[in-house]
Parts: sequence; structure tokens; C-alpha cells
Amino acid sequence: MSQTDPAETTANRTDNQSVSTTVGETVEETRPEWTTYEAASGTKLAVKDLDVHYGDDHAIKDVSMDIPEESVTALIGPSGCGKSTFLRCLNRMNDRIRAANVDGTVELDEQNIYQDGIDLVELRKRVGMVFQSPNPFPKSIRENVSYGPRKHGDIETGLLARLTGRAEPDREEALVEQSLERAALWEEVNDRLDDNALGLSGGQQQRLCIARCLAVDPEVILMDEPASALDPIATSKIEDLIEDLAQDYTVVVVTHSMQQAARVSDQTAVFLTGGELVEYDDTEKIFENPESQRVEDYISGKFG
Amino acid sequence: MSRATQTALVRDDRTLYEAAAGLAVGLSGVAFVTGLAALLNVVAIDDPVAGLELSVLFGVVLLGLGATTVGFGVASRLDYVETGAQPSAGIVAAGAFTAIWFAVGTAVAGAAGLGTVSQLGVGVLLGAAAFATTAFPREDIGSTMPAGAVAGLCGLALVTGIIGPGWEQALAGYNATLFGDTVVPAIVLFASLVTGWSAAKAYGGFGARGRNVGAYVLIYLVVGSILSVLVGLVAFVTVRGLPGLFNGFSVGGAGLVRWPFLTNGAGLLADVAGVFPALLGTVWLVIGAVLFAVPTGVGAAVFLSEYAEQGRFTGAVEVATNGLWSTPSIVFGLFGAAFLIPRFGNQKSLIAGMLTLGFMLLPLVLITSREAILAVPDEYRDASAALGVSKWQTIRSVVLPAAIPGVTTGVILGVGRIAGETAPILLTMGGGVLPAKSAAPNVLGGFQLTASPPFVSNPALLEATSALPYQLYALITAGLSGNIQNPQEYAWGLALTLLLVVLVFYAIGITTRYYFRRKLHQ
Repeated sequence: MSQTDPAETTANRTDNQSVSTTVGETVEETRPEWTTYEAASGTKLAVKDLDVHYGDDHAIKDVSMDIPEESVTALIGPSGCGKSTFLRCLNRMNDRIRAANVDGTVELDEQNIYQDGIDLVELRKRVGMVFQSPNPFPKSIRENVSYGPRKHGDIETGLLARLTGRAEPDREEALVEQSLERAALWEEVNDRLDDNALGLSGGQQQRLCIARCLAVDPEVILMDEPASALDPIATSKIEDLIEDLAQDYTVVVVTHSMQQAARVSDQTAVFLTGGELVEYDDTEKIFENPESQRVEDYISGKFG
Repeated sequence: MSRATQTALVRDDRTLYEAAAGLAVGLSGVAFVTGLAALLNVVAIDDPVAGLELSVLFGVVLLGLGATTVGFGVASRLDYVETGAQPSAGIVAAGAFTAIWFAVGTAVAGAAGLGTVSQLGVGVLLGAAAFATTAFPREDIGSTMPAGAVAGLCGLALVTGIIGPGWEQALAGYNATLFGDTVVPAIVLFASLVTGWSAAKAYGGFGARGRNVGAYVLIYLVVGSILSVLVGLVAFVTVRGLPGLFNGFSVGGAGLVRWPFLTNGAGLLADVAGVFPALLGTVWLVIGAVLFAVPTGVGAAVFLSEYAEQGRFTGAVEVATNGLWSTPSIVFGLFGAAFLIPRFGNQKSLIAGMLTLGFMLLPLVLITSREAILAVPDEYRDASAALGVSKWQTIRSVVLPAAIPGVTTGVILGVGRIAGETAPILLTMGGGVLPAKSAAPNVLGGFQLTASPPFVSNPALLEATSALPYQLYALITAGLSGNIQNPQEYAWGLALTLLLVVLVFYAIGITTRYYFRRKLHQ
């Protein structure tokens, strides 16, 4: 537990670098004040003392962070540092992995989502997710977008609904248009809504996945490296979209690319090897003047 | 890396050599196809062709091919042409030629009347010589000399008539005799395969490219022969069956088609004996088995791959299913006879047959459905779960639709097997040898409401019913006699009908799979 600021002396710096990948006493610890962050807007998600184990593997170590609403929070860090795992804790997707064991609390609007009796369907309606590789269903574009609302019974389609007069094709149409519009895809696909979604390009597929997520009207959108499988043009479209979405939604985005984090996010959390949150602050502060020596090394490309 | 300087990137001056080698490959192919035709009795080996008996002509061709093959090797070795020959033809070719020449040596020594020990001695000597010739000289010699010698020896035997149309040899120790009209085509097939491979290597200029071309020629010739056997089999049944199938067939006025073989029974009053009852029996049998096996099989597959914890239990189920699929059909038949028949009116019945075949179909449907479901990408499940959609709804609206093509494949394969199955229905379904039209199962019209449980009964399901494979079997064991004209023609027509029924089920299955695949992917 070093009390001196490591940035002050170069000797200290080299020392830190040489041992930074092993766990030992000489490794600089994270200080709690580096990860506390007072946001201007209210807190949407509050994570407290979160630990995740995959069997014997300790993937997330005692992470606490508050994620402010209607903003973009970026999670960065080297491969295997647990940032994706952390993201998947926020809508309990880790429940789908049998070996994963989650301790601690995550509060969505001051309600713990890890308490007994939580309705996973309702939780995931409020906390949507976009994955690393575009994964539209092998169905038409229209069916992809309206999939969530139809399965939740918000929109009734099909033979029985038509027979009983409960079908609302206009409402479905409006929802599809609105969601695609919001995901900046409407212009490109409005003349072929009945085509199979697998015929779209990678970037279009990813925006379709975002539209599909928006159609269930979430409050939080989790994105797990949403542009890593896309070319630069598609990436920039996704990035524009993320910034745009932050006006209405709380966006949490995991990314490998520090430039991307710097471009799109309002605040950035840096995870380093071993699943610990090292520093969490305004994006500008993280990239220009980080408190932690390890974060500075990581950002300048010396480590990780 | 000296080879890189020896082999030019752009090859020239080899056109004549290549053309000759290409011609040799083509000639080998023609000899192979003709040999195949002779083996299938499409042409006779004592037919005169261009003034020569076919077998002698074969001999001449093989001699010529053998000589040219050796010529290709020598020309390359003496550097008349530039090739990429490697230092050795390799251990696989050496092993193959050793085996070939060992066999040739023992066969020739046996034909010359030597004792067993001497036969083996000659075989070992020739095998060793072939190994030395293949393995030690450069590749161009090693892969042409032994091949050319084989073809030359075969050609010599055919030209001199040592082996010819009238040739026959009793196999000592076996109650069998080899005749010229099978041995000659077999020799031609074998020798042309060898020269085809060798000439193809010469065509490719030996080396890596030559080996590639040689392998292609071997594979194409072998695949071609397999396909021709299949086509020949179908053609054989078709030619024999057509007269029976179209006996009395006519297209009357106003588009009225009369097809008595398919619409008549075999009663005394029928003008043309037909297979209608058995045909309908087979169709109902397959429908019943599919209706039983598909929902249960797919349901079990969903449970095993989506709900059950992958581990010892699913492993055990998998082993048991695979075992069940390889269980002999007669065992299923016995089970049906001992277990189902006492429960369905104590007599052979349509429904007992349906269920027995359903049990047979079940493991395949289960295995293929499980694989199809496991092949559905997990991303779909994740995406659906992230939208807050429950597991069952995800399975129903995303997983199963994506798995349908795979499931259909399993059902197609299974139906192909059960539609022609004789043993189980022999024990469970029975039926007459020559059922009259009135014996045809009337399943749709047979449903009746009853006052007591189970409130619905269907006598048609509870009666012994004939099916095509069973009727064929029964006809043959009854000695193809019976109260019909020309039972031979009737039986072949029956066989062709069975073949067509299976093909129609295949066609339905393949169309379904194609439809769903299109729906998924465009």
C-alpha cells in the first residue's frame, strides 16, 4: 500500500512495471477514492461489493461502482480482465452460465436485482443487451424487431389474434419503424422489411440488434464490444448511435478500443488483470491524468 | 531447395508428352468404363469389336497402355522431358505395388500348378522386386515401371487367350468356379485403374502436381464405379418392373388415367392384379410411424439438449440411443409381437406395425434432432434471453425453427429405412399374400365413436394389413405362384413400386428441408 504518488518518481515507475502482472506486495493497490465517482445525474445502477467466481477462478474482485443515468459509461481493460463478466452481471446473463457464482448486490433504481423473487423477464426488459458479434435471428427484419414485444404479449400477431380481432398490425408497424429509426437503420431497410435479416451487412445487422433491443423499451442498454466485429465505417455509425442513445438511455459499453471509449463515453472504468476495478472517473480525467500508475501505463500502451 | 531451380515456374516443351499422357489417361478411363459395362453384362466379352473379340481387344489396349506408361517413366528419367519427379515414389505406392505383385505372383504360380510354399515364394520374390523398383529409383521410374508391368502382364494374358471367354477355374477348397466373363472385366478394371493412375502422374509431370492428378483420377474412377453400381441397380429393377407396373395402364378420354396395378387388389375378379392394399398399407405404416416418432423424438431431443444437465445421464442416453438405432429390426419385430400384439386385440394389426416401426425410427430422429438443436448457435439463445424471453418461448420460436432442416434430414433417412423394412411387419402386421382390394386399410373412414372408453375406435387399425415389402417376401416364399397371371412380372412390378414409394418419401422430405432452409437463409 504505497502512500507516495507513483507518478512522481521514475524509479517507482519501473518497479511497478516489472511486477505489475504478478500478485505481490509490491503491486500498487487500488485506492477506494480512485473508484468513487460522483456523477452529475442520478445513479441508475449501483454495484456494491460484487464478486464473481467461475468455479475456483475469481473473475471479479470486490467491485463497487455507481453508473449514472442517461450517459455513456465505458468499461475498458485488457482481455480477460473481467469487464464482459461484469457487464453480464448487470442483467444477470451470468445466470445462464452454471459455473458462475455471483456475490454482492447490483441495484437498479435502488432495487437489488440479486434478491430472491426478482422477475428476470422484467429485469431484462428494463436492461437490454447488445452482443459482440451481430446475432439477428434467422427471421425477417420485421420479425426480428418485433420479436421481444410479441413474445412479451405486448403486441399480438398471428392467426388467433386476427381471428379474435386483437391483432394490431398498425401498432406493430409503428413500433418497427420507430425502433429502426432510432437505431438509424430505417432509411436503409424500409423497402425490404420482410427480407431475411441474415442478408444484411455486419454493421446493419448490429444496428438491427440495437433496434431489436430498443423495441422492448429498455432503460439501460448494455453493449459488449458492439463494434469489434465491424469495419471502420460501420464502427463510426455505431459510435454515433451510442452517443445519440445516451440522451434517453443509460448506456454501458465494454470496449477494447481506448479511442472508442474516449470518443463516446462520459465516464470510464478501467479494469485490469485479475478482475479488479482500478480507476473510475470522467473519461477526460482517465485519459489525460489518471491517478493510478497502472492505468496510465495501460492507456499509454506500456502494459496489458 | 534445389528443386525450385530445376522446375520452371512456366512450363513449356511438354505439350506432346502431356498430350500423350492425357490420351493414355483417357484410354484407361474408356477401358475402365467398358470393363465395368462387361462386368454388369451390358456388353459380352466375346462380342467381336473391330474384328477382334472384346477380351482380346482389351488385351491389346492393356499391352499398349503398359508400354506407353513405361515409356513415360523412361522418357522422364532420361530427361527427354522436364518433370518435377521426386527422389522416390513414396512408401504408400511402394506398399501398394508390393501387395499387387505379391498377389500376381501367387496367382500366376498357382495357375502354373505349383505348391503352396512355392506360390508364396514366387509371390514374395515378385513383391520384393516391386518394392525395390518402386521405392528406390526416382519417382518417374518407381511409379511407372511396376504399373506398366502389371498392365502388360494382364494384357498378355488376355491377348494370348490364356484368360478369355471360355476360361474357367475351380477354386480349390471353395465350392465355386471362376468364369472368364467375370475375371476378364475384373482384370481390365484393375489394370486400367493402375495405368490410369500412373499415366495421370506422368500427365501432371510427377512431383506434387503429378500426385495430385493421379489421386484425382483414382478417386473419379472409383466414385464413377460406385455410382454406376447404384444406377445399374435401380435401372435393373426399373427395367424388370416396368411391364408389371404399367400392365393395363391407359390414359382414357377427358384425362382419366387408369392404372390398375396401383388401384386394384389381387382378387379373382380384378382384370389386372394390383398392389393397392399393400401400397396403402405401406403409406399408412410410414405415416403412423412418423406421427409417433417425430413428436416424441424431437421432444426428447429438446429435453436432452436444452434442459437436462450435460453429463453422465445424457451420455448414457446417447449411448443407449445409438445402440437402439443399431438394434436388428427383427428384435424390434419380436418386441412388437410379444408386447404390442397382446395389447391390440391379440392379433397382428396395422397399429402394432406402426408402433413397432415408430420405435425403430425413434432413435434416429432423436439423434439427428439432438445434433440439429446443439448446432443452433448459442448467440440466438443469448439474444433471446437478453430480450427477457423465457426459455420455452425461445426454444419454440428460435431454436426449433432453426433446427428443422436437420430434423427433416433425420426423418428422411429414417423413413427410407423403415419403409422397406420386412422383418418387423412380418411379425407384427402380417396380411395376405395377395390381398383383394377390400382388404385395403380404410383408416380415415374407419374411425367410430363408441359409448365406452376410449370412445373412439378404428377397426382398420386393428386388422392385419399387408405392406409392400412383406407382400414381396410372402410372394417369393410362396414360390411366386398364386391365382394371378404372370406372378414373376407382378413381383417385379411390386418391387419397383416399393422403390418408387421410398423415393417419393425422400422427395417429400428433401423438398421440405429445402423449403425450410430457404426460409431460414434468404
